[in-house]
Amino acid sequence: MLTDTGRMRDRMDTAVNAVFEILSFSAIMVLIVVGLGVVASMMGIFNFAHGEFVLLGAYFTYLFNSHGVAVWLAMLLAPLAVALIGLVVEALVIRRFYARPLAAMLGTYALGLVIRESVRGLLGGLYYNVPAPLTGSVSIGGVSFAQWRLAIILITAAVILASGVLLTRTTFGLRVRAALENPALARASGISTKTVYAVTFTFGVALAGLAGALVVPIFSLFADLGLRFLIQAFLAVMLGGIGTFAGPIVGAGVIGTLSAALPWVISPVVAEVLVFLIAIALMKLLPSGIIRGRTA
Amino acid sequence: MQRTKPDREGQARIPRRHVLRSAAWMAGAVATGAGSWVIPARRSFGAAPIKVGIATDLTGAIGIAGNSDLNVAKMCADLINKSGGLLGRPIELHVEDTASNEGIAVGNVRRLIQRDRVDVVLGGITSSMRNAIKGPIVERGHTLYIYPQLYEGGECEKFIYCTGPTPAQQCDDLIPWLVQNSGKRFAFPSANYIWPHRLNQYARNLVQKHGGEVVFEEYYPLDQIDYGATVNRIMTNNVEVVFNTVIPPGVGPFFKQLYEAGFLKRGGRLCCVYYDENDLNINAPQEIEGLASCLDYFRALDKTEPDSAKIQAEYQAMFPDTKYLFAAGSAATGMYRGMMLWAEAVKAAGKLDRDSVAAALDHASIAVAPGGPAEMVPGKRHCRMRMYIAVAKNGSFDIVDQSKGLVDPREC
Repeated sequence: MLTDTGRMRDRMDTAVNAVFEILSFSAIMVLIVVGLGVVASMMGIFNFAHGEFVLLGAYFTYLFNSHGVAVWLAMLLAPLAVALIGLVVEALVIRRFYARPLAAMLGTYALGLVIRESVRGLLGGLYYNVPAPLTGSVSIGGVSFAQWRLAIILITAAVILASGVLLTRTTFGLRVRAALENPALARASGISTKTVYAVTFTFGVALAGLAGALVVPIFSLFADLGLRFLIQAFLAVMLGGIGTFAGPIVGAGVIGTLSAALPWVISPVVAEVLVFLIAIALMKLLPSGIIRGRTA
Repeated sequence: MQRTKPDREGQARIPRRHVLRSAAWMAGAVATGAGSWVIPARRSFGAAPIKVGIATDLTGAIGIAGNSDLNVAKMCADLINKSGGLLGRPIELHVEDTASNEGIAVGNVRRLIQRDRVDVVLGGITSSMRNAIKGPIVERGHTLYIYPQLYEGGECEKFIYCTGPTPAQQCDDLIPWLVQNSGKRFAFPSANYIWPHRLNQYARNLVQKHGGEVVFEEYYPLDQIDYGATVNRIMTNNVEVVFNTVIPPGVGPFFKQLYEAGFLKRGGRLCCVYYDENDLNINAPQEIEGLASCLDYFRALDKTEPDSAKIQAEYQAMFPDTKYLFAAGSAATGMYRGMMLWAEAVKAAGKLDRDSVAAALDHASIAVAPGGPAEMVPGKRHCRMRMYIAVAKNGSFDIVDQSKGLVDPREC
């Protein structure tokens, strides 16, 4: 029989544990959405292949690591490899869609399908485990936290901060925003919008690659890894609002928190539906997103 | 705000001729049935071949299982033809992809029945696939159907023969073993579809019968990949055995989170009855150390069972570089039993009409199969077989216990 203080401590531990797990999943959600948000907000393109760039990040991490590269180095190289692919894809495919956002959705969806099925072929439909650079856990009180999940929370914060500074405090960021606000004037002022769009897309895709590289030790590598997050990521962007850097990130935070928190209190099957219901209700209440961006 | 660039003239227009050309190409592909093919028998036989339909998931989410099933079917056809065929005739495989998609599957399977007029169909992996294709095969197609995968039981229609393990076969020995070796407090975390629901119902009764208790039974969406709340519940309720039916992709992160929370360190036992050699890669070895599974065949048997070793060696020889393992969880062993039991039935019946073959198949038996001999239970259309309990040790399975003789499926 437990004493009252013992029971109290158990409850405290559970609460601390819950907060950590929810924070950890929200961070993963934010990390995955940030690249999608950059491309959607800065270029007006809904990149349906985003999940597959996440998958590619995971795949390259596995590939480099299985060829003897240390896993932390593989995680740094993977986004670069994904960025290269992104650069090529932008020139071959994405560039043709800037004028047609609707066609862009279909085009990028097809692109995603090609990438996903190619990776499935390479993996033979199997699952592969990728080690985390940090494997131990940290104990605080009676609760132990996985070090890698803790690291992801910190890295996510750093990535958001760095991307935010890049897009809002640097000349490059200014050019990107100028090309977004008024392409004609930007071109007249000597900014090559073509280059800016290419760089922005590549940057967004590299962020997707980084997300994939960082989360693959948690979820293991499989062909549908990116697809798994696609719907939630779009919901996050819609909810947060398009047109600002912060919008999609806040949206991802909300969606991540809801999806991780609800199963603690209600049946997980109901929770999944409820996340969508709450998100739709929020979108009805805040039609231009939680963070008000530009109005179309 | 004006953000749209002017459309480049003419770029959006697709020439009508192109549309016509691709439409014609598409129509041609559909009409000729691209995606289905025939594996003909050798020409040395004088008689016309017997047609065996294989309908399995060669592409899509569970392509990994479907391809190993097809490989096994090819191997069995080869063995049968090398030993003189059936009734003096060779057998010929007609293959259709069910594409992990019931909608596509029904059309493709219909081709086997209506165009190829096969004498038997083997295949289907998920229960939803079996339910989708059994109508076109058995009722409307008047053809015999053999379903090879482990499943939740309850398929009792005439002319459908099941050659994979049932809940009774997977649980009758395993649950008492778990209670004895791991503890009495069970948790049933499960994916929300029919197999876990039915399996849990059966397992729960056994757990209680052997003095254990089910602390909680909970169902999750099939694509859930974060199990923080579940892991916490397992840890705070002092669960000793996690009887898992969560499936990929969720199962990997779930086992990992359990490991990180210290479930294995405090002596907890993982158990997952569909886990075979294919699934050992999902997690790092230490994250699933001690995981118990119960199936009709494991690779580890090759050391002690010469027949199993021979079959595995034949598979390796025929498909030397394949990434599709000959493993029990993907229905490959059920496919072997299905092909060979059917072949025995045809030999015994001496003819090919459905009623005669079904009557012979009803009590067919084979002495050699992966994991040991197998026999149909007369009147039940399910298969008796040996079952093995294996435990994951440093990334591979070790056999720790085996059934006394053949285990009854207890169905129908």
